[in-house]
Amino acid sequence: MHHAFKLGDNEHNLELSRSASAYRLHLGEQVVDVDLKTGADGRAWLTLGERHIEVVIATRGDDVFVHLDGEAYQLRYQHPLDRLAAQAGGSAEDNIRAPMPGSIVAVQVKAGDTVTKGQTLLVMESMKMETTIAAPRDGTVAAVTYEKGQTFDRDALLLSLEPNK
Amino acid sequence: MTQTLPDTSKWPFQSVLVANRGEIAVRVLRTVQKLGLKGIVVYHAADRGTAAVKMADQAIEITGSTPVASYLDGAQIIAAAKASGAGAIHPGYGFLSENKGFCAAVEAAGIRFIGPTPEQIDLMGDKVRARNFVEKAGFPVAPSAIEDDDPQTFVERSRKVGAPLLIKPSAGGGGKGMRIVRDLAILEQEIERGRSEGQRYFGDGRLYCERYIENPRHIEVQVLGDGQGSVVHVFERECSVQRRFQKIVEETPSPALDAALREKICETAAGIARSLNYRNAGTVEFIFGQGGEFYFLEMNTRLQVEHPVTEEITGIDLVLQQLRVAAGEKLGYGQADVKSSGHSIEFRIYAEDAARGYTPTTGPILVLHPPQGEGVRWDSGVLQGGEVTSAFDPMIAKLIIRGKDRTEAIARADKALRETVLLGCKTNTAFLRRLLQHPAFVAGDVHTGFLDANPQIAAEPEMPAETLQALLGAAALSTRPMRDVADAVPDMHAAMGGWRN
Repeated sequence: MHHAFKLGDNEHNLELSRSASAYRLHLGEQVVDVDLKTGADGRAWLTLGERHIEVVIATRGDDVFVHLDGEAYQLRYQHPLDRLAAQAGGSAEDNIRAPMPGSIVAVQVKAGDTVTKGQTLLVMESMKMETTIAAPRDGTVAAVTYEKGQTFDRDALLLSLEPNK
Repeated sequence: MTQTLPDTSKWPFQSVLVANRGEIAVRVLRTVQKLGLKGIVVYHAADRGTAAVKMADQAIEITGSTPVASYLDGAQIIAAAKASGAGAIHPGYGFLSENKGFCAAVEAAGIRFIGPTPEQIDLMGDKVRARNFVEKAGFPVAPSAIEDDDPQTFVERSRKVGAPLLIKPSAGGGGKGMRIVRDLAILEQEIERGRSEGQRYFGDGRLYCERYIENPRHIEVQVLGDGQGSVVHVFERECSVQRRFQKIVEETPSPALDAALREKICETAAGIARSLNYRNAGTVEFIFGQGGEFYFLEMNTRLQVEHPVTEEITGIDLVLQQLRVAAGEKLGYGQADVKSSGHSIEFRIYAEDAARGYTPTTGPILVLHPPQGEGVRWDSGVLQGGEVTSAFDPMIAKLIIRGKDRTEAIARADKALRETVLLGCKTNTAFLRRLLQHPAFVAGDVHTGFLDANPQIAAEPEMPAETLQALLGAAALSTRPMRDVADAVPDMHAAMGGWRN
C-alpha cells in the first residue's frame, strides 16, 4: 500500500508502521520514530526522532491542518484508488478549474462549441477584478458548469473540454 | 484623554441597530452595550452563528438575492429598525455607510443616523466635487483632469497631466476600477477599461485622472466633529502597506513624519473637516510624496477599518464619540485635550493565499485560538466552528498591537502572529510575519507599491526538511487509513523493525 499527502503543489509518498512503542514514518529511505499525543484543547505533542514539537492539529475529511512553529499548513491525504484513477484519466488541460473563489460574469461558450487555443471561454470576477479564462488548447467544449452570476470556490470545475482523441 | 462614560438616560435613543456584519458589527455592539444601550443587529442567513449575532441583544434576519445584497437593502434594514424599535442606526463601514439616500431615509423615518449629514456624505462621496471643495477651501490637491468639466477634451486634458497618471472612477473607492497609466500610448484604452469597471461597480462610468505620485505613502488623519462647531483631529495613521490598493497593515504614529510635519498634516485634515462643519468620526486621506509633499486624496465619512490603532494610542473610544455626537452632545474638549502615547500597529488577517497573488481562500474555521498578552487586541467577527465563504470580503479579523514604541510593537506583533492559531482556512499570518521582519518595514521605509516591488515577501519560502518531516508525521498519525494499516501489522513484526511492504 502506498500512501501520499499533497502539500502545496507537491505530493509526498510515505508509509507508516508500528514500532515497539509507537510508530515509524518511512520517507523514501529515511525512517523516523514518530508519535502523537493529543491534549484536550486540540494542542498536541509530536515526537519526531529525538524532538518533541508542540502542534495543533485539526482534520476534516481527507484534509489535515497543522499549526507548527507559528505557521498553519494544510495537507491532503491522497487515496490510493483516486491516485490510480487520476493516472488513467484525462490530462489536466481537459478540466479548467477556478484559480480562486469568485463568480461568473460572462459565459462565452456552450457545450459542443469548437474553441481555439487562447479563445475566451469565461469571464470570472474575484477580489473586485475580472479574470478571463481562456482555452488552454484547441478542442471542443464538453460541459460548462456554471451560469452567469453563480459563485464557486477555488478549484471548482468551471468547464471541461472533450478529451483529445 | 481619559474617558468617563456619558449619561445616556437623556439620549434621544436607547437602542442602536447595527447595519453591518463581521468584526465591525461586534466592535460597535461592544460600545453600545457598554453604555447600557440595547444592541440590535441585522444578519443574512449566511452569517447566522457569527459573533455579532450571538452577542446582540436582538438579531433580525434579512434576505436578499445574494448575502451582500441583503446588507445593501436599505428599505429592509429600516423596516427592521422600526420593527425592533431601534432609535438609531450605526452603518459600520462599507455597505450603506456612505450612502446618502440611506442616511436621508433613516432620518426621514425618525431614526438617528450615526454618521454625518446626507449633504456631507454626498459631497465627499463624489470624488470630483470633494476635490474641488477642498481645493477651493485652500488645501492641497494633486494635478488632475476631471471628465465632467468637459467630457469632449477629457483624454487630451488627461494627457496633459502627464505620465504616470492614475485613472479613477468618480464614484469609486477602495481601489476598485483604478488603473495606473505609465505609457500615454495606451491612455485611451485604459480610460475605456476604467469606464467599464466604474459602470459595473458603481453604476457610474465617469472618470477622473490625476498625477500618480511614484512610491507614495498613504497617510490619513482621524477627525471628530460634532456638527456644532467643534472639530478635532485624533492624529494620523500610516497605511502604506497595501496590496492591490487595499490596506493590510496600518500604524500610528507614521514613521515618515517628524513633529512639525505631523502637526501640519493633522491640522490640514482638521481644517478640511472644519470647513464642512463636519459631524461624526471621519478620515481625511492624503497621498504623501517621498519629498514630504502631501495632497488631499479623499475623505471617508465613516468609521475606518483601521480605527483601533488610533484608539490604542489615545484611549479614545471612537464609536463612543460617534454615538455621543449622534445623540446631540458636543465634543466638549479641544485639540489640546487629545493626546497620544506609544505606538500601535494593526494587521488585517485575511483569508487569502499571499503566494498565489493574494487570492481569497475559503474553508471552515476548525480551530481558532486568538493571540493574547499585553498590548494585544483581537477584533474579529468569526468564531471557532464558523466558516469563511466567498460571500463576503476575505478579512476575518484584525490584530491590533500596542507597544511603548514601534520596536516593542513589532516584537509583540511577531509573537502574537506566531501564536495565532487558525486552522481550516489558509490565512496571511505567516506572510504578515515575513513582512514585519523585512528590513524596510522595520526601518519604516515603505510606500504603497512596496509589496509589488518585493514579491519575495509574498512567496512561500522553501520548507526546511525538518518541517516537512514533522508535517508528514503529524498528518500520517492523524489519518485513519494510515493508522489502520500500520496497526494491522502484529506487534511482533513491528518489534523486529525495518518492516516494509
